[in-house]
Amino acid sequence: MSDFLPPLDKFMRKNLKRNAARSVWNIWEEHVEKHPHREAIVHWDALGEPFRWTYGSLLEAALRIAGILIRRNVMAGEVCAVIIRHNKYFYPIYMAITAIGAIPAVLAYPNARLHPDKFVHGLSGMARKSGLDWIITEREIGPIIEPLINAGKGKIKGVLFPLESIDSEKAAVKSDLDLIKRSRSEIDLDAPFLLQHSSGTTGLQKAVVLSHKAVLGHIKRYSRAIELSENDKVINWLPLYHDMGLIAAFHMPLIFGIPSIQIDPFQWVSAPGIFFQSISQEKATLTWLPNFAYDFMADRIPEEQMDKIDLSSMRMFINCSEVVRSESHKKFLRKFCNHGVKEQALASCYAMAETTFAVTQTEPGFLAKTLMVDRGALEEKIVQPPKKGWLKKVCVSSGKPISGCSLKIIDEGKIRLKSDQVGTVVIKSASLFDGYRNNPEKTKEALKNGWYFSGDIGFCHNGEYFIIGRKDDVIIVAGRNIFPEDIEDEVNKILGVIPGRVVAFGMENAETGTEDIHVIAETLLEDKDKKEGLKIAIKQVGMAIDVTISTVHLVQPRWLIKSSSGKLSRKANKERIFLPCRKIKGSDHGL
Amino acid sequence: MVSERLKKVILKVLKLGDFDLQGSTKAFQVPGWDSLSHVSILSAIEKEYRIRFKISEVLSLNNLEDLQLLVNKKVENAV
Repeated sequence: MSDFLPPLDKFMRKNLKRNAARSVWNIWEEHVEKHPHREAIVHWDALGEPFRWTYGSLLEAALRIAGILIRRNVMAGEVCAVIIRHNKYFYPIYMAITAIGAIPAVLAYPNARLHPDKFVHGLSGMARKSGLDWIITEREIGPIIEPLINAGKGKIKGVLFPLESIDSEKAAVKSDLDLIKRSRSEIDLDAPFLLQHSSGTTGLQKAVVLSHKAVLGHIKRYSRAIELSENDKVINWLPLYHDMGLIAAFHMPLIFGIPSIQIDPFQWVSAPGIFFQSISQEKATLTWLPNFAYDFMADRIPEEQMDKIDLSSMRMFINCSEVVRSESHKKFLRKFCNHGVKEQALASCYAMAETTFAVTQTEPGFLAKTLMVDRGALEEKIVQPPKKGWLKKVCVSSGKPISGCSLKIIDEGKIRLKSDQVGTVVIKSASLFDGYRNNPEKTKEALKNGWYFSGDIGFCHNGEYFIIGRKDDVIIVAGRNIFPEDIEDEVNKILGVIPGRVVAFGMENAETGTEDIHVIAETLLEDKDKKEGLKIAIKQVGMAIDVTISTVHLVQPRWLIKSSSGKLSRKANKERIFLPCRKIKGSDHGL
Repeated sequence: MVSERLKKVILKVLKLGDFDLQGSTKAFQVPGWDSLSHVSILSAIEKEYRIRFKISEVLSLNNLEDLQLLVNKKVENAV
């Protein structure tokens, strides 16, 4: 349990007490009553002026849209998937779904690289597994989605395009308001509030349903851990289909009654300098970032774009959703300390969709602690100081458990390990999910006696938790979890690749602060040009499922190693391809 | 029309031996050209031509022809 929680300030006490017996919608209504003109969301667009929603205008727009939904027979309890790009109306649409007691589920808008068939296949799978009732989206992808309804696949009832009619829609009239109110009247605090998807490729993602109570309870506990106050202003470029974006950077400020600035993820990744421009102009104080973003911004924002940029308002940059790397923090600090980034603002947290969001958090006002350990001993699952001349590794703490959460580190036999022993992280949380929607098998694997088996590897040292990797082969690229089997399945279909003789794995890239995806494939091809063509074809199938394969290694038949269970071993083949002596007969890896 | 010089820079960053790059080619059609590598490609172009792109210019690019025209304009202005 966390024992470093700060005393609550008056503002927080008032808010948290009020939150205790209200649904999320009730809390938004109360914000409007108390301070209708307070800024709620600043919708940032680097190519134009930001659009500023107040609590009053946001709720008014949400009720207008709720009127549209009610007239289209969207009912309380139905799941509405929202597939909309960065748009100022995204927020009231999301809130409108809540206003009628329906359940919003934010999904990623299809990337141009993603093949339309793959997108439809994924959506169809999601509709079946997650139980999507309505799709709320943009006209542009309507023709791709509509056949899903006509073909009767899944149980999607309809596709709605509210962006087309919002501007002409009049304010909700009393009859609409009565219907909207009646629609959500049956909703209690234990009812599902939102549906978010955990890691995985589209279609294979596991759906997590969270109640009003779980979200509100979590925000209450987590806001204390980060000492959230009315002086805070959250800034975010993360997509809102990601739990970190949705819960920490969208719901938390909106429920707490403070502003957030929402940046287009695509604009950020194309021109990361806009993040700092926005912080400087808006005097933002808090943000959550995956580890790669620290390296990405330090490497890619030219000094010319930093002219007159002041980042001193930021009290916390919270590193989360990938393994936290000390070198990334150092690089970020070196590059931006002259622009006001403070060492003590570099924080970290450990979080996941299954626990609503955060499990641990470092102490506000202090740099996330680091621990230098012996790399060899760590591989033997022991944490100890490095011996002289031996390889070292710096691990970064993700902090102590927040209130309502407890963690255990266990071994293969599920025996609890002591401090400084490496094992699997299991979690108990007051905001734990009840299980994956329509997926009892995966639920059984993940939830045992009220403990969530995260699949993460870590250790506890002096009461702080250090997360150092994954138990399974999940590849984490820029905060996104990718299952290697999804890539292998696609590569196996390519002519020239020996079917069933492919492995994909992640390889840490110290420069980018995240993982690169490598594929090793066996082939009978010998001609150099044909092999080059095959490499491009492999990269292209990655693109079709929206995965960037960094390097393809083509090897001769029977090169790949199997494990004792007879399956191709990703770990053993990864080690083999990166052996210090790279000249392995029959392999052209590294080309 | 995409110049050989520009093609070479792009292919080098993407570690591609060869790939048909036309003016109408969009980033997502090129293996490995994703949102993260996009910034690396632009940085490599800046270095190669000794130019600097503005944020608004970067966000307005639609295809390789746009990129080539922007590079040409920047190089001309730099002379």
